[in-house]
Amino acid sequence: MGGKQLTKTPSTTQASLADAEIVNACRSGDTAAWRSLYDRYAPLVHRFSAALGVPIDEREDAAQDIFVAVYRSLRHFRGEAQLSTWIYRIAARHAIRMGRRRRTREMMHLTMVKEKPPIATDPSERSTHIATLDRMLAKLPPKKRTVLVLFEIEGLSAKEISDVVGCPENTVWSRLHHARAEMVKAARRMV
Amino acid sequence: MNWLETPQDDSERLLREGLDQATKRLGDEITHRRVWARVADALEKPQPRVYGRVVFASAALVILVGAGAVALPRLLPIHGSRGAAAGAATKSPAHAALPSQTEPGASGAAEVTATPVDQTALLESERVPGHVVRTRAGEHARVALGGGAEAELAENSAITWDGQHRPSIEQGSALLSVPHQPPGWRFSVTAGPYVVTVVGTKFEVHVANRTVGVEVSEGVVEVWRGSRSTRLVAGDSWNGPLRPDEAPAAPAALPAEKPQPVTSLSAKVASLANRGPQDAQAALQAGDTGKAIDILTRAAQGSGPTAENAAYELGRITRYNLNHPRQAVALWDKYRTRFPTGLLRTEADLSIVDTLSNLGDVRAALAEADAFLARHPQSERRLEVQKLAERLRAAQSAAGQR
Repeated sequence: MGGKQLTKTPSTTQASLADAEIVNACRSGDTAAWRSLYDRYAPLVHRFSAALGVPIDEREDAAQDIFVAVYRSLRHFRGEAQLSTWIYRIAARHAIRMGRRRRTREMMHLTMVKEKPPIATDPSERSTHIATLDRMLAKLPPKKRTVLVLFEIEGLSAKEISDVVGCPENTVWSRLHHARAEMVKAARRMV
Repeated sequence: MNWLETPQDDSERLLREGLDQATKRLGDEITHRRVWARVADALEKPQPRVYGRVVFASAALVILVGAGAVALPRLLPIHGSRGAAAGAATKSPAHAALPSQTEPGASGAAEVTATPVDQTALLESERVPGHVVRTRAGEHARVALGGGAEAELAENSAITWDGQHRPSIEQGSALLSVPHQPPGWRFSVTAGPYVVTVVGTKFEVHVANRTVGVEVSEGVVEVWRGSRSTRLVAGDSWNGPLRPDEAPAAPAALPAEKPQPVTSLSAKVASLANRGPQDAQAALQAGDTGKAIDILTRAAQGSGPTAENAAYELGRITRYNLNHPRQAVALWDKYRTRFPTGLLRTEADLSIVDTLSNLGDVRAALAEADAFLARHPQSERRLEVQKLAERLRAAQSAAGQR
């Protein structure tokens, strides 16, 4: 049995107001506020990193890097977007960067030894549909994957996604349409 | 309406269920706290200053060096068949002598004879089935097993990996150090037909002639063969026949529990009890906390790891689902009384410290934190608890001054 399951991050207006207070307190050096910010967004970062393909054995490092990046950049956060959108943006960039490094590593490994290294998996995820979903998501190009994950798993609107990934809303819809079609095709091949 | 909410076929149903489950993948509390301890460390360091182009140039250099560090270990074993062990050797002074010999193993995987010059260097062996790391007379080796665990191979010993990527002691003796595992995670090592399962501890496994032995230096381990298990605490040792179907060459202490016929009532009860935690989890996910508590209360009345897990979980649900922190502390305390050397003892101690601290009961939280530090001096959570204790002490003295 796992530890305490963390609760899903709230995304209501009330939460946004509290975010502004937390950001101000963090900027004034209040460590307790940092802990609140971390408690609120760590589950989001964990879930989002996992869906973007960060392997289980790299997720703790990823979460640490993302929150340290948030800490170092919070003074530049202007509050024009929601705090969650801003954190998604940092996490997405980080996951894509890690994925690129991982692919390079795997490619070199394949070139040299012609066998893929074993992938660490979370035992709690082995018997679920998540493992299958992850295999399907892994086939999507990073941009389409990010949009699909933000829309279908994170529940963001097209406008919020366009803020996270930095593209027009129409592009978000187009990427989502193609990503969905590719996922359905992949699912049909797996069943 | 969600996409694929009315799936047309099995593939769409599979996809929808996968997406629904992915929304619940939130991580566990232990990982959450561990990452916070690392983030909090970073918060205490001064923020780096930005030096424009100089910083960019440095970053490029770091990436190149990093890529080299990744590439080199992979490039070096080109003369061997796999040789990740040799690759890892480039990270340590041991690389000059590693490996002295690389041969195909029985299954076609690499067999590495480790002769490290610096025997304190950690050998990052490739953890794939059939890969073997072997020491000869007078040689020792430290082998990384993943997740921070490592094995110190004595002379004339061999370690390999089975089909489930578990380390397996083939011959000789290995001292294993395993850091504390998060709840739900177990570290396993095999030796002959036995599986030794731990949460976080230090123990030795040896395979000699026709016996397998386990000696525990710290923590608790369980030795499993099929559905039979024996629990060992620090200071305990255990021996079993390597091939239990054959007559043992030397007298061997068999697991304490007698085998039960699979059709017996007690086996059926045990099987039902083992399903308890999963059923409780399902009830919780369905929002039926009362049912989860009923299931866990029944499971906690039994014995073995299921009862222990259930006893701990009761406290967790009482705190987080029912929001009764005082009752949760009492339940975890009950757990500690019943399972003083339990596998989840550390988690129970930490949960109590955390809950009391959140309740604002500074004196009790501080007493628990100090007790934790005294009881678990080698715990990987020590730093985290030390920081909390410092904060609590500061709060206590501030309250005293007022």
